[in-house]
Amino acid sequence: MQSLRDSILEMRIQQERQQQGNFNGFVQSMSQLQVMFSPSSGDIGTRISQFFASLQSLSTDPANLSLRQGVLTAAGNLAAAFRTTSQNLTLQRNNLDLSVGQTVQQINVLTAQIATLNNQITTMQNMHQEPSAFIDQRDVLVGKLSDLVDVSTIQSDDGVSLTTSNGTALVAGNRSFALDVQLDPSGVQHIYAQGKDITATISGGCLAGYLQVRDQKIPGVQNSLDTLAAGLANALNSAHHNGFDLAGNGGGDLFVAPPASGQGAASSMAVAITDPTLIAASSDGSPGSNGNVAALLAVHDQGIAAGQPPADYYANLVFAIGSDVSNGAAQQDAASLILGQLQDQRGSISGVSLDEEAANLVQYQRAYDAAARVVTSINEMLDAAVNLGRY
Amino acid sequence: MRVNPNPMPEILAAIQRNQQQQNDAILQLASGQRINKPSDDPAGAATVVQIHDRSSQADAFLSSIGTINGQLQMADSTLSSVVTALTRAIALGVQGATGTLSNENRLALAQEVTGVRDQLLSLANVSYEGRYIFSGTAQVQPFVADATAPTGVRYDGNSGVNSILVGNGFRVQVNLPGDQMFAAAGSDMFRAMNDLITSLQSNSGIDTAVSSVRQAFDYVTGQRVFYGNAINQLSAQQTYLSDEKLQLSQQENTVAGADVAGVASQLVNSQNARDAALAAAGKMSQGSLFDYL
Repeated sequence: MQSLRDSILEMRIQQERQQQGNFNGFVQSMSQLQVMFSPSSGDIGTRISQFFASLQSLSTDPANLSLRQGVLTAAGNLAAAFRTTSQNLTLQRNNLDLSVGQTVQQINVLTAQIATLNNQITTMQNMHQEPSAFIDQRDVLVGKLSDLVDVSTIQSDDGVSLTTSNGTALVAGNRSFALDVQLDPSGVQHIYAQGKDITATISGGCLAGYLQVRDQKIPGVQNSLDTLAAGLANALNSAHHNGFDLAGNGGGDLFVAPPASGQGAASSMAVAITDPTLIAASSDGSPGSNGNVAALLAVHDQGIAAGQPPADYYANLVFAIGSDVSNGAAQQDAASLILGQLQDQRGSISGVSLDEEAANLVQYQRAYDAAARVVTSINEMLDAAVNLGRY
Repeated sequence: MRVNPNPMPEILAAIQRNQQQQNDAILQLASGQRINKPSDDPAGAATVVQIHDRSSQADAFLSSIGTINGQLQMADSTLSSVVTALTRAIALGVQGATGTLSNENRLALAQEVTGVRDQLLSLANVSYEGRYIFSGTAQVQPFVADATAPTGVRYDGNSGVNSILVGNGFRVQVNLPGDQMFAAAGSDMFRAMNDLITSLQSNSGIDTAVSSVRQAFDYVTGQRVFYGNAINQLSAQQTYLSDEKLQLSQQENTVAGADVAGVASQLVNSQNARDAALAAAGKMSQGSLFDYL
């Protein structure tokens, strides 16, 4: 439908589509992530509060076995909340990794089609035929490609050349260069162009959004969870060691000791004891003492993760995730408004108006009529001239 | 000027934005919450996490106070009975000190004082929900009658004290160990009672014995204040925590609760806008110049 083109405008639209694709990919994946941190009965924040509430109950009757069991259950729920959240994060990262692979395949299909179209366009131009239909089709494909990855377009004699914004060739004339994915030691797919790892340089399209969430956001959240889990487990364990269990023996670990580096602390968090009598509630070895429960309770207000108490640290994490999503969504909205305007502008330049075409048609018809009238007149005149002497 | 002959994509985008606003408003009305996911208001969502934590903590404090209150009331009323019993013992002792009393009568008084002593022993061994109140932090019967002990009674408990947290950094001690309560040096209740019984039996030193029972009486009365204080502190804290909970829930409502009136009018607005956009899209001229040629 479009044959008049403004190449600068087309370029702006492509750039904006890359931006929007980026935000789309980012917001889409982050929205899935933030669900785990929405206020609910089973989120980590609630489980932390419940754990400390169970300790508080134990402090009123430290030898009571059902209260002790309550603490173990709450500790188990807390550990499970960390594990589930951490596992969901890993799962989501794997899904994003699949999306990255699929997107790269789509890019390869599109670049191959564009190269074919370039070839057809050149061939037709050489045969002095009008290739507009193919050019339109190519523009549509380049637009689709812009949704996926950052593309720069260079017009040349043999059609358009496409590169990523940092210069990796995608299409040159009638040749396309397929991207390749390879599993990185970190367990995710990296993107290669002609043997070179270009993962870190991709800056537009939904691919960039996916990569940002996969390689930065999810590992960041995972790290924060590890810090919190390790901080909680270590602080509670060391308080627990100072007490005595119901039999008067020194306290052991309450939670399985987290890895020294802290890495993987959330996904491996677990309660170390199953026997409620082993909870070290006593501070003097007598079964009725609740002195050490106070030490365990004090962890609630200690700066155990990056100098912050557990509930505050978790609240800050929720804030960080929420503001990532809301900022992304705001940028997404802005990008879609700009894109809408640019497309409207393109429509006003290149869109086919039926009225305009009708008016043109009438004009051509009139010209045709007039020309036909001239022929008729000439015919009549010739006729008159041929028959001049007949009368 | 040439205008875009096909504005449909723009109109569709506008309709979608209206639809999104409408969905958000309906979700807020349905859940009653302005914050349904962290991105709805990141700072608010973080505040809600902290409010929930503090509110859960206040709940836990309140429930501890409720539990421990029973134990404190029990201790207080037990001590009240102890004081009554000691008063009776003093009266009996004073009666025994009058010189006109016959030997038989004095022995009968000694018998009666022995009964009071046994009553005191059972009071000192009182338990609440299976826990001895005056055993310190040991889980054993604290006072055991023991003829070999100079006071006639042996203390098996320990001197441990428990305190519970009932507010941020606010700890309340919730027990006095039996040795401090009934067996303090110089004011040993059971020794005084034992002395009184022996002196009545032997008719010597009754006055001294009575005065040491008086001393024990004064001491126990003084110690009883501890429980009264603890009960008062807890009840004040209970009021404070209930207020705090109310405040927290109001705060949460302000931060996260949906402004129902506002959201409802927003819903109506977005519905109207959407209807208008739909109507406009439907009314868009279908014809062209071709129709008139």
